[in-house]
Amino acid sequence: MYMEYIYFIHICQKVSLRRFSTLLSQKTGAVSAFMAGFWLVLALTQSLPSFAQGSYRIEGKVTDKTGETLPGVNIRIKGTNRGTTSEADGTFRLTLSDQTTPLVFSFIGYLTQEVKVGNQTALTIALEPDQRQLSEVIVVGYGTQERKNLIGSIAKIDPTATKDIPTGSFDAQLQGKVSGVQISSNTGVPGETVNIRVRGATSINADNDPLYVVDGVFINNNSLQSVGTGGKATSPIADINPSDIESVEILKDAEATALYGSRGANGVILITTKRGNFNQKPKINFNASYGVAKAAKLWELTTGPEHAQLVNEWWINTGKDTPSLNRTAENRPFRPVAEGGRGLPEEQKTYDRLGELFRTGRLQNYDLSLSGGTKTTKYYIGGGYNRQEAIIKPIYFERASFKVNIDQQVNDKVQVGVSNTFSRTFRNQARAGDGPAGGLLQAALHTPTYLSPLNEQGVPVGRAGFDNLTLLIDNYDVQSASLRYIGNLYADAQILPNLRFRTSWGIDYNNYNESEYWNNLLISGSPAGLATSSITQFTTWLNEQTLTYRQKFGNHTVGVLVGNTLQSDVLTRTYAEGRGFANNLFTQISSAATTASSQSWSKSNLASFFSRIDYNFAGKYLVDFSIRADGSSRFGTRNQWGYFPAIGAAWRIKQENFLKDSRIISDLKLKTSYGTTGNQNGIGNFAAQGLWTGGASYQGSPGIAPQQLANPNLQWERTNQFNIGLDASFFNDRLSAEFNVYNKYTTNGLLQLALAGTTGFSNYWSNAAEISNKGFELGIRSENIRRGGLTWTTSFNVAQNRNKIEKLENPLRYGSRDLILQQQGTPLYSFWVYKQLGVNPQTGNVIYEDVNNDGKITVDDRQILGSIWPKFFGGLTNNLTYKGFDLAVFFAFQYGNKIYNHNKFFGEGGGARDAARIIFASNNARWQKPGDITDVPRPDGININNYRDGGSRWLEDGSFLRLRSLNLGYTIPKRLTEKAKIEAVRVYVAGSNLWLLTKYTGLDPESSASSDANQQGIDLGTPPQPRSVQVGINVTL
Amino acid sequence: MKPITYFFSILTLAVFSACESFLDVQPLESISDTQTIVDKATAETAVRGIYSALGSANYYGTGFQSIGYLSGDNIQWTGSQSQIQEFINHNVNADNATIAGSWIAIYQTINRANNVLAKVPGVTDPTLTQTLRDQYLGEAYFIRALAYFDLARTWGGVPLITKPTLSPAENSGIKRSTQAETYAQVLADLEAAEPLLPATTDRYRATKKTVWALKARYYLYRKDWAKAEEFATKLLTDATNYGLLKPYNAFFANDARGTRESVFELFYNGTTEVNSHRGQWQPQTNGGTRQWAPNDALVGLVNNPAIGGNRSVLVAKDNQNRWYGTLYYRNPASDPTYLFRIAELYLIRAEARAQLNKTTDALSDLNAVRDRAGLPASTAAAQAALLLAIEDERRVEFALEPHRWFDLVRTGRAAAVLNVTDPNRLLLPIPVNQLLTDKTLEQNPGY
Repeated sequence: MYMEYIYFIHICQKVSLRRFSTLLSQKTGAVSAFMAGFWLVLALTQSLPSFAQGSYRIEGKVTDKTGETLPGVNIRIKGTNRGTTSEADGTFRLTLSDQTTPLVFSFIGYLTQEVKVGNQTALTIALEPDQRQLSEVIVVGYGTQERKNLIGSIAKIDPTATKDIPTGSFDAQLQGKVSGVQISSNTGVPGETVNIRVRGATSINADNDPLYVVDGVFINNNSLQSVGTGGKATSPIADINPSDIESVEILKDAEATALYGSRGANGVILITTKRGNFNQKPKINFNASYGVAKAAKLWELTTGPEHAQLVNEWWINTGKDTPSLNRTAENRPFRPVAEGGRGLPEEQKTYDRLGELFRTGRLQNYDLSLSGGTKTTKYYIGGGYNRQEAIIKPIYFERASFKVNIDQQVNDKVQVGVSNTFSRTFRNQARAGDGPAGGLLQAALHTPTYLSPLNEQGVPVGRAGFDNLTLLIDNYDVQSASLRYIGNLYADAQILPNLRFRTSWGIDYNNYNESEYWNNLLISGSPAGLATSSITQFTTWLNEQTLTYRQKFGNHTVGVLVGNTLQSDVLTRTYAEGRGFANNLFTQISSAATTASSQSWSKSNLASFFSRIDYNFAGKYLVDFSIRADGSSRFGTRNQWGYFPAIGAAWRIKQENFLKDSRIISDLKLKTSYGTTGNQNGIGNFAAQGLWTGGASYQGSPGIAPQQLANPNLQWERTNQFNIGLDASFFNDRLSAEFNVYNKYTTNGLLQLALAGTTGFSNYWSNAAEISNKGFELGIRSENIRRGGLTWTTSFNVAQNRNKIEKLENPLRYGSRDLILQQQGTPLYSFWVYKQLGVNPQTGNVIYEDVNNDGKITVDDRQILGSIWPKFFGGLTNNLTYKGFDLAVFFAFQYGNKIYNHNKFFGEGGGARDAARIIFASNNARWQKPGDITDVPRPDGININNYRDGGSRWLEDGSFLRLRSLNLGYTIPKRLTEKAKIEAVRVYVAGSNLWLLTKYTGLDPESSASSDANQQGIDLGTPPQPRSVQVGINVTL
Repeated sequence: MKPITYFFSILTLAVFSACESFLDVQPLESISDTQTIVDKATAETAVRGIYSALGSANYYGTGFQSIGYLSGDNIQWTGSQSQIQEFINHNVNADNATIAGSWIAIYQTINRANNVLAKVPGVTDPTLTQTLRDQYLGEAYFIRALAYFDLARTWGGVPLITKPTLSPAENSGIKRSTQAETYAQVLADLEAAEPLLPATTDRYRATKKTVWALKARYYLYRKDWAKAEEFATKLLTDATNYGLLKPYNAFFANDARGTRESVFELFYNGTTEVNSHRGQWQPQTNGGTRQWAPNDALVGLVNNPAIGGNRSVLVAKDNQNRWYGTLYYRNPASDPTYLFRIAELYLIRAEARAQLNKTTDALSDLNAVRDRAGLPASTAAAQAALLLAIEDERRVEFALEPHRWFDLVRTGRAAAVLNVTDPNRLLLPIPVNQLLTDKTLEQNPGY
């Protein structure tokens, strides 16, 4: 008591009310708040009298069932916080005040045991392994919970099973693993962004990504990329080495996320990195793997003669349709050279460019870690190196990471610790998305096959407005290096037996350094070279205090948590470019003839207070209530603060008398929650302010101009979510299931509301949309066989989410050719197309559905035909172990989603794009004469009728069943390895994307040209996810 | 427990009061719109802001210009986007992205002008002299006139906005004026600008002379031949400052800018003020995509010594034997946009005089342009032949500048020359997203 008071006085002296405001407005504010917390902890360690010492000494040893010693077992005197942990050899010593109070032995993965000491002085305790998942510890918002006491909907994933899938970032690897979490990799380029949607999407213009928290630090997941790669973006999550992750928890419902308030609307992904154990002898783990990746298939293209034939046909057809064009068979493009043509179709050659671009990529991964602990210290040190070549030249991804986690018990009440992640992610990048200059797949896929890569003089030339592929591959020079530090420093103190205080300071710092050099052989660098350099820095600091109180009174357990956080994000960028180099050997901007540069700065602050009260009656009835208040600098002065409450309740029916003795039902829990979460991500830091820009210069002199209109009412997007769920397990937990039904409704949706052009503005930020997401999630886990060394478990999950825009005044169009329409009454990301009913066998013309029956096909006849949302999606995992062998077979699936095959739209132009685009082989099936039955019409020109922009012919079913990963491992028997003083050796083979079942005619039904969420599902110029096989070895010393 | 509670309530209090400043984060790259045009410096920079909008990518940078020449009969499209092909096919849809962008860019320019017109008169800074104040207002009036002129000739009547937009509720929901009313606004703004502007020569900013040039064009469009002749003459007689340069490419080749040929051109420095026009025209060896290229007909015309003369320099061949346009070529991208060249004023006067049956004078104006192109004098004598000769001359003289479509529309020749038989197609559709956003807007007939 005394010390707290001293501390309080100290705070008041140190931070008088008036000064506090100025302090807090700077980083030092948080530092001092943190330091204050730290002093408290230090003071406690030095001044608080220890609890009374008893006089009974006891010693013992803890082992597992087989007699193997167990270090690090937690041993407590029941009802107190006094105790110890077992040493490396499993032994412990303890002094007791009496002999009647039992000792409680607990250890993760083992059943907790209570032992009465009585007159014994030496104990041998054998802990039973815990086969039940119920006592699994789950990381929740600002704390942990045992699974049985969970009220919210939280999924825990062990990422090791999927960490060999070559994606770069761990989140992409989790596809199909968690019910209700839809994860789509847009591309086969490692380390690019993925779309993660936890229970659907809630916003049009704000972010729909979940919040990522690494060891308590809210990390940035927005790409810092500034160089153009055709709509693609690198993922900052790829900076994290998947091998450093101990567990991933995904928080889904409002009960689980409300404590994250303004950040929680799209779910929260909690990442816990590996730490050592107290009293654990040093353990070295080494893992190495090597493998190859390749595209499973490539596009089928017309040959040169076929291309020429189609172009001639288009020419003659359009000449007939519009005589004024003067296109006849006589002046067709592919006529004899002697007649001034390009030669007859059969004289055309065929040039393969895809084969030149695609390659077998090499994959390598090495991880080395050391972990262990003494009685008061535990540590984890890890290093990793990962290199992945993309399946197209010259892209590769490389990450070197280093991790140090240390926890130190200062005394039996206070613990301090740090988590540190350093990484350097290097990418050799190239444009694998949309856009002409520098586009790899434009050069390789979209360039007509009949055109030679050389001109008449034998000089390499780019065709169709795209770069020459060979020159592009050989001269590509676009690189980025991301230096990342994610760190957290905490102190945790047991102030009173039931009261804990924790303070922490977290940092996420990312230095993102990009450079491009385009020499004069490439379009972007012609005629004299272009170099750019961009350095982007993103810094988050986060300061947090929590106070938790937990007390048990008979059957009643009450917990209270209060806390606050302060967070500040600063984004800065310095950019320079130079043009005009003496020759291609000069590549630095300093040698350019003309240079230009720019600088930008942006900042946002967030202040939050939160509290949670939970109550548990006899482990039977659980209730909790939480609330968070968030103030954001982004919003209008009238609405800076948002309040996000949630309430949850659970009933453990199994604990009732009528089920207590049931042998079939081993657990049954009914749970429900309702709450509100918010969203502010994805909007500009100054979105609410009326601004004028200084960037409107003329004649090289400064100019100012209106930039955006103010909206002082701009406020939080709010999502109300109701969840009801049932957890059940049977046959001693051999079969368990979790079923949840939810209903999310988002109001005040952040939207760049369109303004009439007459205002001189295009839009302004407002709260104008309402969106709902309703769905269910089902997860089943079954231990099918556990007999004689053979185990077989199956996990299955399936989920459905129905998304709908409930309110949106004016429809919004996104994507190339306005392919995506957001409008009231239909789901987000719906495809807006002309519905092709068929091809008239007599005329060869497409019949479109005339929606408004006005006798002509106009833009009013476009209609929504499906969306990117699947009707259901999920995953199926089978794990088998037999003796030393382990096999994991994992399928992911989606059903009912649509994808627009935009490559095919261009490639099936019927010859009208002539020398400007490839023609796909599928166009050979076009209508040619009356009576032909086909769905590929007669060539008639660009966007005339048959090859109309936005035709539904290229909108395809994107359903798939994918053998996402297949891992086969063998652990060498311990008796063999022990001789070499090796604890364990496992060798394995890991395959990914080995098999794909889909009706989609493109390469990969998950491809998306743009990382912009509003343009998902448009497949253009994107390499598919690779098929890969790797071999690896894992050694533990 | 008690001190703990106390501590937290105090901490909470402290933090809440601190939050006011913690949550007040102001940008560094932009300024609040409550303090915009307050003194001489801000007035001056706000006027530059209007020029910046006039030269923006969707207005006179690339977008709006492309409407003018792609819709003619000189340019072919070698790329894949149908929005470009729609102009060439004279089948522009209401969801065409180019018109959507241009509409917004033009009104953005108008809004910037309106800000200057509304706020500069209230500036009390003594260093802002009356002359400067008049000049700034005159420039704003002139650019607004040009903007409404472009709106009127492209879309017909449009909503007339003359006050700045200060909140989202303003300046929308205003009905379209008629085309005549829109042209009346153009004239009113020109009449306002003329007395305010100095009679100096500035080829990059509006002066009295720039007003005369637009007036000449305006009256030509309005078929007020006498006035068109009168205002063209005002510039054509200013031989000290304006004249046709020989050879033809002297006004643009070898990085030339601000020549005597130029009455009004937009300036781009190539770094902070970029004219990305070149990218569409240049071949790959000069960092472009050559997606807009001279078509066979134009290549034939300019390479015909009797028609193109030395204007054959407008086209050249790339390393794949394909023709490309040479007017926009500079690297870094700093090609000027030519709004008024003295050649146009010759041809305006020639046409006005021909219409007035002053055929000899008309012919002499026409021949001035032909002479500069290295061509023999035209022998067209009768009015009709002369008008046709002028039309043909304009086609080649402004082959890569945005005139051809508007010329054929205003002379009623689009049907005969371009085969645009549906008169509704002579005006472009109001962009469909504007119709969706502003329900009071009505679409042009036929769309």
